[in-house]
Amino acid sequence: MQDIRLRAGAAALLSLTAFSGSAGALAVFTWWLVFSRPRLVLKKARIVFPAIVLVAFFGMVLQLTGGGGFSYCVRMTVIILIGAWVYSGYRQGEFIGLGTWLLGRKTGFELGMIAEMGMQSLELMVSDLSRIRQAQELKGIRWGPGSLVPASGILLHGALRRAEETAELMAVRGYHHGGSYCPVFGTPARDIVAGMAAVCVGIIVFVPVSEFFILYH
Amino acid sequence: MKLSLASVRAAREGWSLGAAGIFEEGIHLVTGNVGSGKSTLALLLAGLVPPAAGTIEREGISSVMTAFQFPEFHVTGTDLESECRAWGLEPAPVLAAAGLSGGKNPIHPLRLSRGELKRLVLACILARDYDLLVLDEPFSSLDCIEKERLCGALSERKGGITIIFTHEQAHFPRVDRIWEIQGGMLHDRGKLPSALVQWDHAPAQIKDLIGRGRIPANITRADLLEAACRT
Repeated sequence: MQDIRLRAGAAALLSLTAFSGSAGALAVFTWWLVFSRPRLVLKKARIVFPAIVLVAFFGMVLQLTGGGGFSYCVRMTVIILIGAWVYSGYRQGEFIGLGTWLLGRKTGFELGMIAEMGMQSLELMVSDLSRIRQAQELKGIRWGPGSLVPASGILLHGALRRAEETAELMAVRGYHHGGSYCPVFGTPARDIVAGMAAVCVGIIVFVPVSEFFILYH
Repeated sequence: MKLSLASVRAAREGWSLGAAGIFEEGIHLVTGNVGSGKSTLALLLAGLVPPAAGTIEREGISSVMTAFQFPEFHVTGTDLESECRAWGLEPAPVLAAAGLSGGKNPIHPLRLSRGELKRLVLACILARDYDLLVLDEPFSSLDCIEKERLCGALSERKGGITIIFTHEQAHFPRVDRIWEIQGGMLHDRGKLPSALVQWDHAPAQIKDLIGRGRIPANITRADLLEAACRT
C-alpha cells in the first residue's frame, strides 16, 4: 500500500479489530494474507519471528497461570504481522507527510518527524544488533540470553548518542517548532480496494451479523 | 598464508561491489570513497557475511579478528578491567597500552569518550597475534598522537595478514600493498613504492611528492619527510 494515509488508517483499524477477539484476529489475518504480500513483508521485517516467539512465550505463561493465553497469542501475533506490513512499506519522509496532512505544520510536522526519527533509529538498531552479535562471536562469546544485557546497553547508548547529535544539529540549524512541508500522496486503485476491504473486516467484526440479515429477525 | 578472492560480489539494492585478488602476508591498505563498500568488504574478508557470488578461500589462516569502525560494538564488560578479561587478557598491560591505567573508580566502557574506547578496543585486539586482522577505519576518533602510536604498533606486527580499510589522509603505517575501491570494483595497485603512482585516492601530499618526481619508499610520516627533504 503506497498511500501512508490509507496504510496508517487501515493498520489502526485492523489492529483494533484483531485485538477485539480471536475471530477478529482471524479475519484480519485473512486480510493480511490477501493484501499485504506476505513473503515480501516477512523478508523485509525479519524481527517478526523473534517477536512472535516472545509473544508465544508470554501467551504460554498466561495460559498456564490464568487462561486466555492462546487467544492473547493469536491476537498479538496478528497485530505483529500488521505492524510488519506497515514497516515493510515504509519510505523515508512519509510520516512527516502523514503528520502534516493530519495535524498541520506545527504539531503534525513535529509528531511526524518524531515518528520518522523512530523509524530510522529502528533501522539502525537492527543493523547495529547484527554488528554487536558478530563482535561478540569474534570475542568467543556464544550468542544467547546472556548476550542480551550488554547488547541492549550498547543499543540504548547508541540511540541516545544519535538522539543527542540530532538534537544538537537541529538546534545549530535554527530549528524551533514545526516546519513547512507540502506532502504529496499517490493513491493507486489497489490501495483503495485494500483500504475498503479493511473497513469491511472492521464492520463485519464489530457490527452484529443480525444487523445485516433482516430475515434473522 | 593467504586470502584469495575469486569473482567475489557483494550486492544491496542499487549497489554492488566486485572483488578479486590475493592478500598475502603483510600489511594491506584498502582505500575508497565513503560509501564505496569498504566496511562491506571488510566483513566479507573477515568471513562475517557471505558473498552474494564468488568464493573467498583462506590458506593457513587459523585465527581471525576484526576491529569494527564503532568500538562500542565490541563492549561486553561492565568496567575496564572486566572488558580486558572478556578478551582473555590481563588488564594492567592492556590498560597501560591504551593510556587508561590509573583510574581509581571502576568506569563502564561506554562512559569513555569514543577516542578512549577506540584505544581500549584496539589495545585489546593488538595484544594478540592473529593470522588475519581486519581493521575497519582504525584511525577514526583518534588524535594525531594516537594515530602515530597505532601506526607504530601496526608496523611492528610480525607475520600474518593485516588489512586496513581507511580514508585516513595523513597517518599510515608501513604498508606492503595498496588496494583501491573504485567504480564498484576492488583494484590491486600493487606493491610499494610503484603502487603510489597508480593510487587515485592518494593523499594530496603524496600526489604532490610524486608530481615533483620524489616518490617515497613507503607512506609513513618518516618516509614522506625523507622524500620531501630529498635533494
